[in-house]
Amino acid sequence: MIHRNREAKLRAQSIQSEKMAALGLLVAGVAHEINTPIGAIHSNNDIMSRALTKIRKMVGPARDKEIARLLDIMAEVCGNNEIATDRIMKIVRSLKNFARLDEAERKRVHIHEGIESTLTLIQHQLKKRIRVVKQFGEIPEIECHPNQLNQVFMNVLVNAAQAIKERGEITVRTRREGNSIKISITDNGVGIPSKNLSKVFDPGFTTKGVGVGTGLGLSICYKIIHDHHGTIEAESSPRGTTFTISLPIHAT
Amino acid sequence: MSENGRPTVLLVDDEEMVLNSIKSFFAIEADYNLLTYTSPEKALEDLEANHNQIDLVISDYLMPEMDGISFLAKVKEKVPLAPRILLTGYADKENAIKAINEIGLYQYVEKPWDNEELKLIVRNGIEKVNLLQELQRKIYEVDRAHRELSDVQTDILRIFA
Repeated sequence: MIHRNREAKLRAQSIQSEKMAALGLLVAGVAHEINTPIGAIHSNNDIMSRALTKIRKMVGPARDKEIARLLDIMAEVCGNNEIATDRIMKIVRSLKNFARLDEAERKRVHIHEGIESTLTLIQHQLKKRIRVVKQFGEIPEIECHPNQLNQVFMNVLVNAAQAIKERGEITVRTRREGNSIKISITDNGVGIPSKNLSKVFDPGFTTKGVGVGTGLGLSICYKIIHDHHGTIEAESSPRGTTFTISLPIHAT
Repeated sequence: MSENGRPTVLLVDDEEMVLNSIKSFFAIEADYNLLTYTSPEKALEDLEANHNQIDLVISDYLMPEMDGISFLAKVKEKVPLAPRILLTGYADKENAIKAINEIGLYQYVEKPWDNEELKLIVRNGIEKVNLLQELQRKIYEVDRAHRELSDVQTDILRIFA
């Protein structure tokens, strides 16, 4: 009975992995499709603002108050559009960087890039509620599957954000330790009760209730880190939780 | 150099909105004779019909008919001096880097592109092609002078022989 249960959980884990892979494809496709139109809008807005500058020079100090007012409004709208398109472009870049479909195989990358992209993507979950403190150390590039590691960062960071009920802080630390790098993600949220702490990496374990969590997120993180010959551990107290990921610098 | 001394730039992208945007930008910030095409095949046909009169070429990478690198390689055969610029999305960056060596790419510009950067790259490309064209003319003149000189030499030799 226990055996069959375990089998079912493993199957669920593999279905979830496939779902994530399909989602990655979708994300990369959407990002690619948005890229061209947003590029055109960004460029067109720049053209409008250049044309506007030229018109201002030709008109000189506008004698007509209404013309002056309209020119001011146009300049302000252009400025606003620029901020908006810059933001979309940043998100699209992060989506692309997150999915990294061009790099299906192992690759040497700097994991700070992956962490930064992931933070941009979960910005809406952090809002002004959660302050993110980055304490990045000097770490070398590592050989890894960047898209898979990004998925781990995403999972742990989203869990951290959900553990913080109102206002709080998430600290992301990176450092080198001998032949490995360590990434720790600490939140000052509600913490995980000690009876649950040993089960967080089990497939199917969730405290979030049906429809919120799949209960598979951390088990997949565990598998990904294990496949990278690394370790992932959780420590918790009622004052918060720390997940520590250790990854070898050189793949074996 | 064609069209009353205005440099001619060939621009190919399957997206009309990209063509329009770049066209409008150059209309207010530069003075080029800009030829735009959504079809690389048609661009090659017209290029042939117009005796390959272009100074610089910009092409998108991902297009349904033919990718930008194959297109630029064909343009290179017809107009070897014209600098070739590739427009690419993020995912095609590695292809672009490969193309730098394969077809002697002058530059690649990542989409979404920055107008100011595009302006500088195109301006430098035009300067480069002008110098190359000038050099080619000078080489031709030196060649001709040399040929004339050796004709004279032959004449002199014949007189004194």
